[in-house]
Amino acid sequence: MRNGLLAVGVALALGWLGSGGLRWFDAALAGYLLGTLFAIFGTVYRYSVWLRRPPTARLSRRGWEALRRGGWPAVKQLLGLGVSNLAAQTFIRERSSSRWVAHQLVFWGCVIAAAITFPLTFGWLHFESVGDDATRYRAFVGPLATIAFDARGAFGWLVFHGLDVAAILVLGGVFLFLGRRVRDPGAIAVERSTDFLALAGLFAVSVTGLMLTVSTLWMGGRFYTFLTTTHALTVILGLMYLPFGKLFHVFQRPANLGVQLYRAAGDAGPQQQCSECAAPFASVLQMGDLKDVLPQVGFDYALPAGGSWQDVCPACRRRVITQAQAGRVGGFR
Amino acid sequence: MSPLARRDEKVFVIDQSRCIGCKACVQACAECGTHRGHSMIHLEFADRGASTQTVPMVCMHCADPTCAEVCPADAIKQNEDGIVQSALKPRCIACASCVLACPFGVPKLMVEMNQMMKCDMCYDRTSLDLAPMCASVCPSQALWFGTREEFADARPGVLIDEFLFGRQSVRTKVLTVAREDGPLDVASGRTARAWQDDPFGLEESAWPGNAR
Repeated sequence: MRNGLLAVGVALALGWLGSGGLRWFDAALAGYLLGTLFAIFGTVYRYSVWLRRPPTARLSRRGWEALRRGGWPAVKQLLGLGVSNLAAQTFIRERSSSRWVAHQLVFWGCVIAAAITFPLTFGWLHFESVGDDATRYRAFVGPLATIAFDARGAFGWLVFHGLDVAAILVLGGVFLFLGRRVRDPGAIAVERSTDFLALAGLFAVSVTGLMLTVSTLWMGGRFYTFLTTTHALTVILGLMYLPFGKLFHVFQRPANLGVQLYRAAGDAGPQQQCSECAAPFASVLQMGDLKDVLPQVGFDYALPAGGSWQDVCPACRRRVITQAQAGRVGGFR
Repeated sequence: MSPLARRDEKVFVIDQSRCIGCKACVQACAECGTHRGHSMIHLEFADRGASTQTVPMVCMHCADPTCAEVCPADAIKQNEDGIVQSALKPRCIACASCVLACPFGVPKLMVEMNQMMKCDMCYDRTSLDLAPMCASVCPSQALWFGTREEFADARPGVLIDEFLFGRQSVRTKVLTVAREDGPLDVASGRTARAWQDDPFGLEESAWPGNAR
C-alpha cells in the first residue's frame, strides 16, 4: 500500500514539474490522469505483494545479485535479452508464427499508444502554433521547444494520427488472437475469462479511438461528444483493469531477464549431482535456493537417511517411483 | 460442472508395472489439442541392462501442487476439478523451479519457448469425459481412464492416491495401483525390483527392499 501511494506521489510530482506547474496540463484529460494514477497505484501495489512471495523474493534478489556481480558482461547480456525477449519477443515465434505476429502487433500498438498518451496526460508534451502560422506546429517537451512541422504534411499526419496507427496495429493483433481463441479446441479447453476480457478491452479502446477520427473526417463531427466520453470510459476502465488482469504480465515478464542472468551465474558455478545417478542436473545455487524455499511454502521433502528428495534428478525420481510401484504389485506371487 | 469434478468421475490410472515401452503414448500425447506437437509424457528404461521395466510418467495432478507453490511467477494454476495446468504462457519466466521441485519429475522446460509445459491430462478431452490421448492408445492399460467400478470389475489391485517422499505425503488426482491399500513409499523404489524380472518371487531374498 505504502509503495503504491509513494508511486502515485512521484507521478503527481513529475506531472507537476513536467507540465510547468500545470501550465501545459490539458484539463480535458483529467479523467485519463485519474485512471493512470489508479493504474500506477494498483500496479505497484500488486507488484509489491507479488515480490513478497518467498520464491519470488528469492528469485528477484538473485537476479539483481547476478546483474551486480556480473559487471559489464552481465549488462551487455541484459541489453541483448531486452532486445530479443522484450522487444522482438523471439521466443513467442517458437510457439507459432501467427501468435508472434499477433503479439508484436498488440505490443507495438500499445507501446506507441502509451508513448503518446501518457506524456499528453501528464502535460509533459504539448503543441503550440509557430507564430501566427496556424498550419505549423511546434512540439514542446515540458518547456523545451523541439521540432516544428507542417500540420498537413506527412510528418504532421503521422503525429496527429499516431494513435490511429496504434489502434490499427492493436486491432490486427486482437483479431489474430481471437481467431485462435475461437477455433483452436486446445485454446478453448484451457480458456480463462481474463483471456477474452483483455482482448475485449483492447478492442473497445481501439475501436472507440478510431471512431473519433472517423467522426472528424467523414461524419462532420457527429456524435463526437458521445464518442469522446465512450472512449475515455473504455480507456479509464482499461487502465483500472491493467494491474489486476491478464495484462499485468507486461510488468511480470521482464523478470525473465533476471532469471536468465541467474541461470547463467548458476551455470558458471558448481553443479548439483544426483544422489542416485551422480549426473549433474542443476546448479547448486538454484537447488540451494529451492531447498530453502520449499519449507517456506509448506513442504518437507527431507529423507530419513539424510538429504532431500530434490537431491534426486527428475529422471531418477521417475525411475525410483516406478520401481516402488512395480514392487507393490503382485506379479504371480 | 466439469465431468472431472463429479462424484461419479472417471479416474486416470497409471500402473507403471504394466508398461511395455511401446511408446504409443508418446506419439499420441503429441496429438493432444492443448500442447499439439509436443509430447509431454515421459518414457524411459529403468535400467536397460538389468530389467525390462520401463518408466512412464504423466503429471499426477497433486492436490497441493509443489510446482505451483514454488513458482515465483504464480504462473501454475489448478482448476476447480483438481487439474494442474501448464504454466500460463504470459506469466511463465522459465526459471525451471517447477521442474526441479516436482516430486514426480514431470514438468518440462521448453528452453526455446521460454516456457514450462507439462501433461494437463488432455484437458480438451478429459473435461468432456473422454480418455486422455495416452490412455486411449495404451495397449497394456498401464495408462487407463474409467470409473472406479469399471476398474474393480476388470483389474486386480487397489487404487492409491497417496505417495510418501520421506516426510512429505503427497495426494494426487491421478491414481496408481498396488496389491494392498496404503501410501506408496517411494524410498522403497531404491531397492525394489520390478515383478516382471522375478515374476514368481524365486529371487526375492536377494532383494531385501522387496521383502513381503
